[in-house]
Amino acid sequence: MENYNERYARHYALSDFGFDGQQKLLQAKVLVIGAGGLGCPVLQYLVSAGIGRVGIVDHDYISLSNLQRQTLYTTVDIGKPKAQVAATRLGEMNPEVKIICYQTELNSKNALGIPAEYDIIVDCTDNFAARYLINDACVLLKKPLVFGAIYKYEGQVAVFNWNQKYQVNYRHLFPNPPRPEDVQNCNEVGVLGVLPGMIGMIQANEVIKICTGLGEVLDGKLLTFNMLTYEVFTVDISNENSVEDLIPKNREDFEATDYEFLCGISIRNIQDLSPEDFIKKKSDKYTVTVDVREIGELPKADFNHINIPLSELNDRLSELEDEHLILFCQSGKRSLKAAEILLEHFGNHKKISHLKGGIIALQERNNGKNS
Amino acid sequence: MEIKLIAFGQIGEITGKELNIEAEDLTSLKAKLLSQFPKLADKKFAFAVNRKLVHDETVVLNENDIVALMPPYSGG
Repeated sequence: MENYNERYARHYALSDFGFDGQQKLLQAKVLVIGAGGLGCPVLQYLVSAGIGRVGIVDHDYISLSNLQRQTLYTTVDIGKPKAQVAATRLGEMNPEVKIICYQTELNSKNALGIPAEYDIIVDCTDNFAARYLINDACVLLKKPLVFGAIYKYEGQVAVFNWNQKYQVNYRHLFPNPPRPEDVQNCNEVGVLGVLPGMIGMIQANEVIKICTGLGEVLDGKLLTFNMLTYEVFTVDISNENSVEDLIPKNREDFEATDYEFLCGISIRNIQDLSPEDFIKKKSDKYTVTVDVREIGELPKADFNHINIPLSELNDRLSELEDEHLILFCQSGKRSLKAAEILLEHFGNHKKISHLKGGIIALQERNNGKNS
Repeated sequence: MEIKLIAFGQIGEITGKELNIEAEDLTSLKAKLLSQFPKLADKKFAFAVNRKLVHDETVVLNENDIVALMPPYSGG
């Protein structure tokens, strides 16, 4: 057999898959966005299976608390960039796959460029701003999108934009993003390590089915999986509701859309501080750092700060005399809420910033730094 | 009409994962749920009737229909 490769012998042997199926995988180009809990299993299985070209997009760094579920990384990788470590490890797993690493955060400026180079896009991100950004980009680019998401012990998988006749996308399911305060993420609610493994593997399976034509793709269907009961509930997503008006019409509109703003993750006139910027700026002159968590919440902040719980903020505004107010909380949601209250009250008379990702992000950054 | 309700994710934590409830259509079901579970008011979720997503809330429900409440998940 020409081009026989022992590595894929078990694929060749599989009925209905065989050599032709493998050739289809070898020709496929798949972009995996997010190399975290979902991204790790997706990447491992796609690279092992011999997808021709695999792109990895992630801007994050490996932290200790990632390791109970993000199985591409080891303890010595803490503090290193996920995309690069993943690319190296995957290259060792299967050097025959062309692996391209994008150590960058997807935003409306690059989200049409990078995916354009690929046949299938896999959404393994962990926030709604990224999910709506990717959805809209895939609609504009007419690229099949394999969506996966988790919450506690449940996960969702769906395939969008695959069937050209019956086009369904994430906005047919949830036309607009929820408000951030109504959504909890893994940092807050926790996650059992095997769940993203299971959901990621369903996503990888969908990619393989799309590439090879095997089985039935979850096209326009939402699958919900419960890991505690193994119950699977699949619903057909209808495209009867028109969502065209919600999606940018063209590249120009898309690039002008601020998805973080739409999803309430960032607000104009309130500066988001990364852990690095926060550390630098908190000791600036005329600056006060305010913990807006309730009294006694852990971890305690081990730097100079005052504590005004969000619930008391409206009554204690007069205590804030400094020019620059830096707010923080556990995950960055309450501090953003508090920043809105301050913006309403002080307008442009004070500079208002908050620690994006909260004290959790700060701690993860410090853990990465120390090891 | 008695219908069977299945709720997922955060919604199930409020309503319970499964319950039987009387409702004529989705509008009346929604109103009933909101009065029984006020915490649902600020939650986002989609309705699926007999495993098909439904946006038109005037849809009439039949005896033993299965109505699923599906919230968006974002974790990854």
